[in-house]
Amino acid sequence: MVMARYVRLPCVALVLILFITPPLWLLFSALKPATEIFAWPPSLWPHQPTLENFVRAWSQDNFARFFMNSTFVSTISAALSVVTAVMAGYALSKFRFPGETFFFLLIMSALMIPLQIILIPIFLVLRDLHLLNSLWGVILAPAATPTGVFIMRQYIRGIPDSLLEAARMDGTSEWRILWRIIVPLSIPAIATLTAFTFVDRWNDYLWSFLIINDRSQWTVQLALASNVGQWDINWPRLLSMSVLSVVPTGLLFVSLQRFFMSGLLAGATKE
Amino acid sequence: MTATLPSATDIPPASVSSPAGWIARVRQGGFAYLLLLPTVGMLTIFTLYPLLQGLFMAFYKRGVVVAERVPSSWPKFVGLDNFATLARDPEFLATLLKTIGFVVVAVPLLTVTSLALALLLKPVFRSVGFVRAVVFFPKMVSLLIIGIIWKWMFGYNSGVVNYALSLIDIAPVPWIEHDVMAQIAVVVVWVWANAGFYMMILIAGLGAIPDDLYEAAAIDAATPWRAFVRITLPLLKPTLALVVLLSSVEAFKVYELVVSLTAGGPGRSTVYLIQLIYETAFTKPNQAGVAAAQSLVLFVMLLVLSVAQLRFQKGRA
Repeated sequence: MVMARYVRLPCVALVLILFITPPLWLLFSALKPATEIFAWPPSLWPHQPTLENFVRAWSQDNFARFFMNSTFVSTISAALSVVTAVMAGYALSKFRFPGETFFFLLIMSALMIPLQIILIPIFLVLRDLHLLNSLWGVILAPAATPTGVFIMRQYIRGIPDSLLEAARMDGTSEWRILWRIIVPLSIPAIATLTAFTFVDRWNDYLWSFLIINDRSQWTVQLALASNVGQWDINWPRLLSMSVLSVVPTGLLFVSLQRFFMSGLLAGATKE
Repeated sequence: MTATLPSATDIPPASVSSPAGWIARVRQGGFAYLLLLPTVGMLTIFTLYPLLQGLFMAFYKRGVVVAERVPSSWPKFVGLDNFATLARDPEFLATLLKTIGFVVVAVPLLTVTSLALALLLKPVFRSVGFVRAVVFFPKMVSLLIIGIIWKWMFGYNSGVVNYALSLIDIAPVPWIEHDVMAQIAVVVVWVWANAGFYMMILIAGLGAIPDDLYEAAAIDAATPWRAFVRITLPLLKPTLALVVLLSSVEAFKVYELVVSLTAGGPGRSTVYLIQLIYETAFTKPNQAGVAAAQSLVLFVMLLVLSVAQLRFQKGRA
């Protein structure tokens, strides 16, 4: 559709302001010294920018520990998720065996069962497995993802069968075919899926909230929820903790932006 | 989706009829079963089994944790009592209505916003990539943090939103201190947080509409509005339906945003279903069965949406 330039330009400017102001406001507020943060009238740009809030949040409130917990959970969970998705995706795209449709439907049916509706029974399962209050519970419970399996299955389908046949003729073992042929050829899909799963796990609140109780096992999201839930909110601390929590996913997005926005589309629209 | 899948029926009849052939096929598929084991195992333990247990639980009166020394927590079969309790529970009914209301208001608003953004940012112009990335960025941030950012900006006395309003002589608005305003604030922030994601889906949908249709419309001297109503909307219908269905499921599950933005308040005005289920299960004694029944009601609503989506996508394929 054609839209006149003089109409579009102000609209784009307005959109930009509406969407860029909140994150910038968060960042600049966190950079202000305690005396300036509540100043009225407020100014966007900090007059005396300081890292004091960040240093204090990082060192005083055990935030470094929560940050490490989140890094641990997100990294291991993303890796586990992708490895299992590649395996299942390979099985469902390149093998024909009795029960193929059954397993595919079984995995896909899990798409319709969000965590939110099985809170109590999953709590009981994790308790019986002694995974409550453990970061391993947060890692294992959501590790198998139907979406991941579906994306890998779609991608691996595009790898020519002749390559696999040739390798089998040469007597290559099935495991070697998986790691030496399927995995290297699926790097784009694997990279996309890893990045997404990492972001997803990093931003997760509900799983950790359900599983973790002990303060030493908190993830950053749990720490943030606890701080915002206080009656008298310590805003300088809360805002700087929020900024720190956005750094990993923000950096990932800045460096892989194009790829994030297109890969996500492929996953979402095909699903 | 499933139509293109090679299924067991594709196997030549000869191998199906003889048991030996079937065993051979199972053996041949041995490696595939091994590959599927981790995924199927974890999904069974952490999703499918809990779902079944949840279904049973809805027909029992029990505590979340059944303690041997606490007889009142022991599971007792009560039939449909939990559902009868829900049908008479004013808080559940009010929360259910409020959640449906949230979906009914937020989803259309999100769809229209995403469509407007997509139409605005679909054409390629200088730095369009940057603008799209900025609009998409909230999707990379947890809803909990989105709630924190907006709670900070919505402050009554020191928030930047009320400051901006004061510049154009509008009195301070009690964004999160007033019950109806708080509900509006949750809708606005939810739409703000999700619009970029659905915008990208709609941009892809717009990209699939052939350009020559618009060229033909231009030759016929059709107004841009007419071209939009006659070409864009009808051809975008499948993508729009996808956006509505996907976002409805998300809207029903609204919770994390509320945790930080309003904490369910003021009063109980922004408590939605997920929070109620959690509170019923974990803060009220021996109400796990009632909470499971509440979950089941939500599950049925989500299932209807999922089935609608599947049918719809099958129809499109």
